[in-house]
Amino acid sequence: MRGKHFGIGGLAAALTLALAACGNGGAGTANGNGPATLTVWLMTGSAPQSIVDAVNADFKAKHSNVTVKVELQQWSDVTTKLDTAFAGSNPPDVVELGNTLVAKYAAAGALQDLSSRRSSFENSSTWLKSLTESCTLNGKLYCAPYYAGSRAIIYRKDMFQAAGVKPPTTMDGLLQAGQALMSANKSDANFSALYFPGKYWYAALPFIWDFGGDVAVKQGSSWQGTLNTSRAQQGLSTLVTIVHDLSRADRTGDEAKQDQAFAQGHIAMIIANGWEVGVITDPKSGDPSLKDKLGVFPIPSHQAGQTAPVFLGGSDLGVAAKSKNQALADEWVRLLAGTKYQTQMATVGGVIPNTTSLLSVINDPVAGVFAAAAKNSRFTPNAPNWANVESANVIPDMMVSILTGQSSVSSATSDASAKIAQILNSGS
Amino acid sequence: MGAVATTDAAPVTPRPRSESLPAGRRRPALARATPYLLIAPACLVLAGVLGYPLLNMVAVSLQRYGLGQLIAHRGNFIGLGNYTSLARDPQFWGVVLRSLAFTAVVVSVTVALATLIALLLERMSRPMRMLLTGGLVLVWATPVIVAVDLWQWMFDYEFGVVNWLLTFLRLGNFIHHNWYARPIEGFTVIAIVVIWGALPFAAITLFAGLSQVPSELVESAEVDGASGFQVFRNITVPILRPIFLIVTSLSIIWDFEVFIQPYVLLNARPSGPFMTMAVFMYVESFRVSQYGLGSAIAVVTVALLLAASFYYVRQMVELAEAPA
Repeated sequence: MRGKHFGIGGLAAALTLALAACGNGGAGTANGNGPATLTVWLMTGSAPQSIVDAVNADFKAKHSNVTVKVELQQWSDVTTKLDTAFAGSNPPDVVELGNTLVAKYAAAGALQDLSSRRSSFENSSTWLKSLTESCTLNGKLYCAPYYAGSRAIIYRKDMFQAAGVKPPTTMDGLLQAGQALMSANKSDANFSALYFPGKYWYAALPFIWDFGGDVAVKQGSSWQGTLNTSRAQQGLSTLVTIVHDLSRADRTGDEAKQDQAFAQGHIAMIIANGWEVGVITDPKSGDPSLKDKLGVFPIPSHQAGQTAPVFLGGSDLGVAAKSKNQALADEWVRLLAGTKYQTQMATVGGVIPNTTSLLSVINDPVAGVFAAAAKNSRFTPNAPNWANVESANVIPDMMVSILTGQSSVSSATSDASAKIAQILNSGS
Repeated sequence: MGAVATTDAAPVTPRPRSESLPAGRRRPALARATPYLLIAPACLVLAGVLGYPLLNMVAVSLQRYGLGQLIAHRGNFIGLGNYTSLARDPQFWGVVLRSLAFTAVVVSVTVALATLIALLLERMSRPMRMLLTGGLVLVWATPVIVAVDLWQWMFDYEFGVVNWLLTFLRLGNFIHHNWYARPIEGFTVIAIVVIWGALPFAAITLFAGLSQVPSELVESAEVDGASGFQVFRNITVPILRPIFLIVTSLSIIWDFEVFIQPYVLLNARPSGPFMTMAVFMYVESFRVSQYGLGSAIAVVTVALLLAASFYYVRQMVELAEAPA
């Protein structure tokens, strides 16, 4: 009536739209040489516009009658959009999928099986292992690795110097360096030595993994939540101490605005992706004068001389099973995932390319730290229902309840483990 | 909605046959069908935009309908499976109780405050009344998303004006106070935002109703020595009863299904303790891709709402049927 609330009406309407979409077909085009439109969904911030334009120009040179429509999607509500798009009869032909989302859509039959065409992709024998695994379900390949990102600690060299500390090489050292920074900046009530928002669970995983813990393991045919094991709890407790002593970030907030916060000058360290350096020094969103003050070091391990395993984020490129332009879609993916544009993704885009054979093109010292971190990387459980664990915010909720003191590490991890096991083992 | 539609349809009663018609002639079939023909378009539209999705939702709620089924356009019939798994889910019962409690509090506060504002409006000088009504209408006219975003900024952890103001007024140290760390505080914020948005409609409707209270009645009661409260209780409330019923039942419906306020205030990632019916339904269907389960939650919501507003709707129907 007033547009004040939408509940059942909204759900019903959306369901109807989703279901009604099955009725109309026939807008597709022939696989042959006739004019066609290729729709590509990329995520915001994945490839610089110059690379997308160049890929399209190369594609156009071979297929002058094909129009390529590249549409940028937001990460925040992407699963909702993907669900409805794949349910329709005209889904986008090429989709970029976060590597933790692939298993869900592959298992549901939304993606084309590319196994037989694997060798037609350049560098497919040297693809990053973790990304290739994210594309693989029951031995079949459902996408091509696109790019990867790993996390390390971005820090302010000037603040470290003023506090008389050096980049730490152990977790204890991280806590001590942070405490020294906190006392050197006592007068600043907004200061965080390490800015850590409560829901930033990708940055919590290294602590869990470093102590030998994990999120879930497969035993036989079923999954078991393992956040409540003593090793995982040890990692989380270490993190909780660090956050309590070093961070004034919102304990219920997420990391979406951490680069803008960092650029405001009250933060000495953040755990961040390689591309976030660009956001921090961006003239519009950040502070370009910080360029020479930024340094990077890997997240240290609790064992001296090692680094903590990091989560290898990244994206893959899939072809929709219902796409009517399979061959064209394949070809577009081959271009962006191939040597020429992967080299540019590494040098211009500042990400880790999809193949180990191109890691050597990264010669920037800052980017080098992130590329090195990627070598000691891990991945979330590769289960079809894993995306649902993420969507249900199980781990962020657990972190928030621990960091805000609502529950203890042991009870919060037990609850989360049970919930994760329940989601991973439920039939979909 | 339903109540409005009924009153809209009310004038479509057949007119009394004119006496001038020649006696003995049969009423033409067309004339007898006229009322039905007139109401048919409205019924068709309602059946199309409300009935079909509703039936569809009930059908989906009886199926296992995940992402695979959505893509294949074919669910697996599992009878009441979704409902039994809901009944066994302690989280769901938590959500139901939370929504009921939230609705009870928000509706009572809304109606109470709206009544006070309406009484205030009646006693104000004309310019002040215009000012207050203008303010209320502005609140009403602000798009919900915009308003909720503004509220979110005001209660922001780092930059919020509320934290600054409370600290400035020396009511405690609210620097870096997190309003969503404890659910009770978080729900207080959500309730404030919901009530703020709901007040204009309720207050203006009640104020309009107040103009129906005959001033002679109030005056004679006052002459007889009735206090202000007695006048309110024994004259104003009984006369305003139909308006109270409408405002209360609409508020129950809106507040039980509240979605935008909690969802946007919590950055589209509401955690477990903040799940209300509509948010839970949305997360289960669109986030976790369990459309069957989501539909079952929706059906339960409708059933609960019908039960909760049954009393009010029955009262309204009785009032409407009673001779004026």
